[in-house]
Amino acid sequence: MIISSIKMTSDQTPTQIRLASNDNVVVTVDRVVAERSVLIKNLIEDLGDEAVAGTPIPLPNVNHAVLQKVVEWCEHHRNDVAQSGDDDNDNRKKTTDIEEWDQKFMQVDQEMLFEIILAANYMDIKALLDVGCKTVANMIKGKSPEEIRKTFNITNDFTPEEEEQIRRENEWAEDR
Amino acid sequence: MGSSGAPKPSTSILATLQATTMVDTKPVFPAEILVAILEYLPVPDLLRFARTSRRMREMVYDDTRWVARLKSMGVWDEAAARKRFEDAVKRKRQISASAGAGRGIQAGSTGGGAIGAGAAAAAQSPVAAANRESLLFDAGLEEERRRQHEIQLQQQRQAMAEMRDGFETMKVGGIPPQNNPIRDVDALLNIIKNVKSVRGHAREEYGKVYGALAPFYFDLVKAKSHTDPLVFKVFRDPDRQAMMLTNLKTFSKSDWADGCQQRQEKLDSMAGIFEAAVLREFEQGYEFWDVDGRMNKYAHVLHILNGSTAGVDLFIQKHPIFADKEVLANSMDCVNQAMADEITLEPSRRFFEVLTRKVNEQSGIIERIFPNPGKVFWQLVDKIREDIIIEYVTPLFDETHERSIPSYLRAVSGIFEQTMMYFRTLTPPKDSEVDQEAQAKEMALKIFEPHLDLYLQDEIDDFTARAEKEVEEWDKKLSEQDAHAESFYMASFGNRQADKRDFLTSFKKVVMMPVTVLPTSFSLPLGSPFASSKPAATVATATGTLTPNPPTSRSQTPVPSAVNDRGGNPVPGKAPTDELAAKAALMTSRLEGIKSLFSIEVALSLVHGAKASLGRVALFIQLGGQAGGEAREQAEAIFVALLRILGNKHVKPGFDLAVTHLSQYNPREVNEHEKGGVAPLVTFIELVNVGDLISQMIDVFYEQQLAGPKIVDRNDFLDPAGLAKKKFEQMLDESVAAGLNKGIDVLMDEVEYVCATTQLPTDYNPGGVTAPDSIIPGMPIPGMEKAAPKPQQGAVDMDIGPSKTALRVRDLVASHTSMLVGSTDKSMLDVFNGEVGLRLFTAVCKHLKRQRISTEGAIKLIADMTLYFEYIRTLKNQDLLAYFKALRELSQIYLIDAKHAKEMATIIADGDRFGGIFRAEEVYEYAERRADWYQVRKDVERAMYGLECSVM
Repeated sequence: MIISSIKMTSDQTPTQIRLASNDNVVVTVDRVVAERSVLIKNLIEDLGDEAVAGTPIPLPNVNHAVLQKVVEWCEHHRNDVAQSGDDDNDNRKKTTDIEEWDQKFMQVDQEMLFEIILAANYMDIKALLDVGCKTVANMIKGKSPEEIRKTFNITNDFTPEEEEQIRRENEWAEDR
Repeated sequence: MGSSGAPKPSTSILATLQATTMVDTKPVFPAEILVAILEYLPVPDLLRFARTSRRMREMVYDDTRWVARLKSMGVWDEAAARKRFEDAVKRKRQISASAGAGRGIQAGSTGGGAIGAGAAAAAQSPVAAANRESLLFDAGLEEERRRQHEIQLQQQRQAMAEMRDGFETMKVGGIPPQNNPIRDVDALLNIIKNVKSVRGHAREEYGKVYGALAPFYFDLVKAKSHTDPLVFKVFRDPDRQAMMLTNLKTFSKSDWADGCQQRQEKLDSMAGIFEAAVLREFEQGYEFWDVDGRMNKYAHVLHILNGSTAGVDLFIQKHPIFADKEVLANSMDCVNQAMADEITLEPSRRFFEVLTRKVNEQSGIIERIFPNPGKVFWQLVDKIREDIIIEYVTPLFDETHERSIPSYLRAVSGIFEQTMMYFRTLTPPKDSEVDQEAQAKEMALKIFEPHLDLYLQDEIDDFTARAEKEVEEWDKKLSEQDAHAESFYMASFGNRQADKRDFLTSFKKVVMMPVTVLPTSFSLPLGSPFASSKPAATVATATGTLTPNPPTSRSQTPVPSAVNDRGGNPVPGKAPTDELAAKAALMTSRLEGIKSLFSIEVALSLVHGAKASLGRVALFIQLGGQAGGEAREQAEAIFVALLRILGNKHVKPGFDLAVTHLSQYNPREVNEHEKGGVAPLVTFIELVNVGDLISQMIDVFYEQQLAGPKIVDRNDFLDPAGLAKKKFEQMLDESVAAGLNKGIDVLMDEVEYVCATTQLPTDYNPGGVTAPDSIIPGMPIPGMEKAAPKPQQGAVDMDIGPSKTALRVRDLVASHTSMLVGSTDKSMLDVFNGEVGLRLFTAVCKHLKRQRISTEGAIKLIADMTLYFEYIRTLKNQDLLAYFKALRELSQIYLIDAKHAKEMATIIADGDRFGGIFRAEEVYEYAERRADWYQVRKDVERAMYGLECSVM
């Protein structure tokens, strides 16, 4: 134990990373867990181990509650295979089902869900973002336009005629 | 969680309040997240999303989103889209440039133009319709949509009814009771095919497909059993069912929303059930051999469904040809029906014949059954190759390889040829776009690939072994023969070149014959005459007749005819092989003298062996690729081996031996000099002739067998075959040169010997010899010379022709040089002749200095010298001629009477007279040979040196 910790300090390779939320709460996580976030991973690479070991990494866009959720997700997925970067090419690939743990994880109120998505987007955690988007997509399924507007806080800038026109244009997709 | 669900419209004021507060705090997603979310939405929700606001509509309507879906179905043609777009831009420019009259709906018209152009390019639907469609797009779409909607409703309603009513009513409901059902159904079937790639309209295009197929798709996914799905109810015809299933499968690729995997599995399993049913029908049709009925019908259905792989597999797997007793022959027949260690390819030929017939029958049947007969046919052929041909061929090769290598070699190449023939004579169905030749090669390669390496190696090993054995046997025979007295030569000097040409023509004929016609065993046509001819031919030639008498020695070869009308074709219809054998025998008999050195028959038989091997190997070259390349290399290797064995083991030792003989020749030890030739030299020259013949044979062989069929490139100077050939020729030239060098020595030895032994002292000095047995003619007693001329001798010498010795020398030299004509390089011949002439000159001079010549004898001497001169003139060598001219002039000094010593002195001193060949001192030396020299000496010297004489 002692020997190993000495070793660690001598190598200047911290095994723990401290993350600071915008409400000044510091969360300590294993480095591998933190590096699920591409943002943090790149940050550590750029700043060097020493700087990271000294001060917590501030995440000004993420509050404590959300950060904890995100960390929880990262902890659970710490051993996942890292996704390759060139996913953009086949982002049209078939949607896979959300795995059970993630489904449960996403059973939060809508505000939290959206915050998690935003945090995942900000921290560049692609897998989490995907899960979030899928969850949202499932939420939207079967909703009327009005309901969607409410969900997403969208202002209707159509006249009723215009809206009707769009509906008719795409009627082929309804009625199944 | 409840809160994540949408707030229900009928909630309390509290809930509404809560919702409003949520609106305030609710974060607004950036576009990239929205796009990501949209990506996961099913199509209907996506379009509902578009209705929320302008920005969302923009996002949803984004063309790339829909192009991606079309692409996923494989119906988006980027090139066509770009062309349409460019056409549209062009038209737009034209319109804006020419018209300028901005009507309100300009945008609409340009759009219409674009679509119109696109339609025209596609050349599918009428332009007017396309225009109408795009101009009145919404209305048109609406109309169609409504119609389809009606169909769907109708169908659904009917489907419901059917489910209640049961199976029988399905038929009625199967045909959609629409005003024009056929067109609509066809439209449904072709919906995917009719998709157009238009930029900016991908959504509409996708909409059409979705509208048509989605109802069936989702219905099928929901179906509990295989009788449920709408697809099978709307379409009763298996053809159309298959088409729809294929369409749905394509369509399913554009479905990537949540749960798409289950949907696809369901679709696949349905399709699988359908396929199995169709396959069952097909199989039943197969069992009844209902070619044009069920088999044809269901093969087409399967083809529509998935390229009919299952049907084709079934067809080929269960094909009766694989159990056909008539086809499944036993390849061992090829071995069993032949004699020991032999092989006959007749059974295999029959096997391939039957196979070809059967397969070609199948070709017609396949054409009747399958929509893509070409592919099916070749698949069947491939299966036949694997199951029938390889099964037939492999045991045969293994067996023959064990039994005897030569029959193995014949089997491999013979069956290869038959196989190629078989593949080439197949008549594939008409639609087959496959290159039959390439296909044939590929299939043949597959059959022979496992055997090829072994075969090629065996082929060259076998050839080398046989060729070496041939040469060795010949050597052995020769050493046995050696005990017998060496009997030389005697060739017909006359028509050598004609003979050779004649022989070569026959040879060419044989070489050009296809290899299969040849008896491929080495010794068959050629070895036999040689073996039997040897002793008899010795007898025949020992008599020294000019024309050999082969019939006595070779009753089994048709020599007589060849002898009688040599040059023409012996007997019409007689195989050239026999003719060649006869000619070879004839040559051998003429060249009996060299039989102890090397044999043209051995050479011929080696060449034959090489030709057989090479011909077999060359067949494989047509395979091309690596196998063809290997075969080509092996063919060259065979040629190289031929030259190596023929050259190093046969020709070269022969030449060496001949040269040794030559160098050992000593005329004094040979007691026969009557035959007009120096035995070893004649032998050697014959050898040169034969060597030349062999060289020409090799050349013909090279041209015909290697360069002709493009096995080797004549211009490639690094080519091993070409190099080997050059080396062989070089070896021959060197041997000839070395031999000729020795030959000249020998010839001159002989000349000197003849001069020394046969020149009578009285020849040039008729009256001078008092003692006929005086050994030294140069020391007569001066006093007696003039005193006692013998009347008889004088009478004899009245004949002023050349002396016998001169004639013999001339004949000796002439016969040997003429023998070389045409057999060796012209330049080498010139050098040889020049050397011979020069040496002859020296020999004559030397000889002259040993003679004593009287004035009377001078006439004979002059005649002799003229004889030599005339002979030399035939050599057409000006430099050489000068020497003999000088010699002739020189001989005249003996004619001068002793009284004219002064004139004699003048002549002696006259250098010009001898063309610079003799100096005055030399001429003086010759003058000393005058019989009366001691009488005239003083006078001559006085005339020449003036004072000197007075002192003396």
